[in-house]
Amino acid sequence: MKIMQNSDTPIYMQIAEQMKTEILEGKLKPGEYLPSIRGLAKELRISVITTMKAYEQLESEGLVTAIQGKGFLVNDQNMGMLKEQHLRKVEEYLQAAIQSARVAGMTKEELEAMLHTLIMLQEQE
Amino acid sequence: MEIEKTAIRAAKLEKKFKNFNLNIQKLEIPQGFATALIGKNGAGKTTLMNILAGIRLDYKGEITFFEKWNDQDREKKDCPVREMVGYTGTSGYFLPQWTVADVGEVSELLFEGFDRKRFDALCRELKIVGGGSNEGQKKISELSDGTRTKLMLAGVLARETDLLLMDEPASPLDPLMRDRLCEMIQEYLAAGNGEKSVFFSTHNVSDMENVTDYAIIMSRGRIVERGFVEDLKNKYVLVKGEKEDASKARPALYSMQESRYGFEGLCLNENLEKLAGIDVTKEIPSLYQISVAVMRKNAGGGEK
Repeated sequence: MKIMQNSDTPIYMQIAEQMKTEILEGKLKPGEYLPSIRGLAKELRISVITTMKAYEQLESEGLVTAIQGKGFLVNDQNMGMLKEQHLRKVEEYLQAAIQSARVAGMTKEELEAMLHTLIMLQEQE
Repeated sequence: MEIEKTAIRAAKLEKKFKNFNLNIQKLEIPQGFATALIGKNGAGKTTLMNILAGIRLDYKGEITFFEKWNDQDREKKDCPVREMVGYTGTSGYFLPQWTVADVGEVSELLFEGFDRKRFDALCRELKIVGGGSNEGQKKISELSDGTRTKLMLAGVLARETDLLLMDEPASPLDPLMRDRLCEMIQEYLAAGNGEKSVFFSTHNVSDMENVTDYAIIMSRGRIVERGFVEDLKNKYVLVKGEKEDASKARPALYSMQESRYGFEGLCLNENLEKLAGIDVTKEIPSLYQISVAVMRKNAGGGEK
């Protein structure tokens, strides 16, 4: 997990987003507990309250359930909904890319070629 | 966020001095978290800390520890509060002619939950003593301020406690040791799993920000702001704008600083709409920025 101190995204959101990705990728499975709040705070070197807020964010989105005295349990996920959220994110980023390309005066073909190249580079890694 | 359980709660705490009155109507230190006590010199931080630690007993008011024992109970023999609370101060409470080893021995006599092995290990890890045969024979009077603070930290961390009260622990420490202090606070909280709490006063708000869960800001003997840091960061917004908009923005801002090129200030989130039509950037303030603004606002008496 990577936390950026000086980001526009609040730290609790960064944690919540990365946890969400781990759930979507199946690294955190339904029925498992999230790391303990104070343990994670210690590892990430952030405050307990920030970690707590991240977990409460995940709870409010229905991804985990707080179990009194035990921690936060990963729920059976509505994978369709999670995937939908990620698709929306992809759309958002692509739109930003299209806008930047327009500012730079790139043609549609050049932009598509760049996307292909980037995908290929990622696959090689 | 609401405080569920408190390590300490106090009501109507009063202490009158010649030129200064401490007057705290309500104090809550949440259990399971690290709470920072912030305020300028003379705000009353050490007076409050000493009252809570039981060093100063000439005050009015009521204090409850761990929702169970009050300050009168604490003075009774066999009250567990004494064992449960660890305190580190600014001046050091060891006699100058004692050696580091003496501190270990005295602590062993004073506190049941004192682990001598852990103390010796901490003394080595924090480089309070060097290795070698006369390890631990160094006198307190020969130690630097930073090392004396480290020794106090080793003393309380070697005990089995549920609450640490630390008066300015960061100040005499170098950056590396401050970092280690933050780590030790986090380890302490993690080991407590919601039971253990830390209350420390500090001027080094930035250095301690990553371990601060709850903040209490004092000015002139009173508490002027308090809250979980995440809530405070939501309550105030850091705004920046161009110089020509400064006078328009001023009435809507909680605090404001002007420079030759523009202005910067904190705006209460609830007042943000009053800035509509003015071109400003918005950021989440740091606890340091919030503290400075609140302290300035409440300095009063023409002080800055």
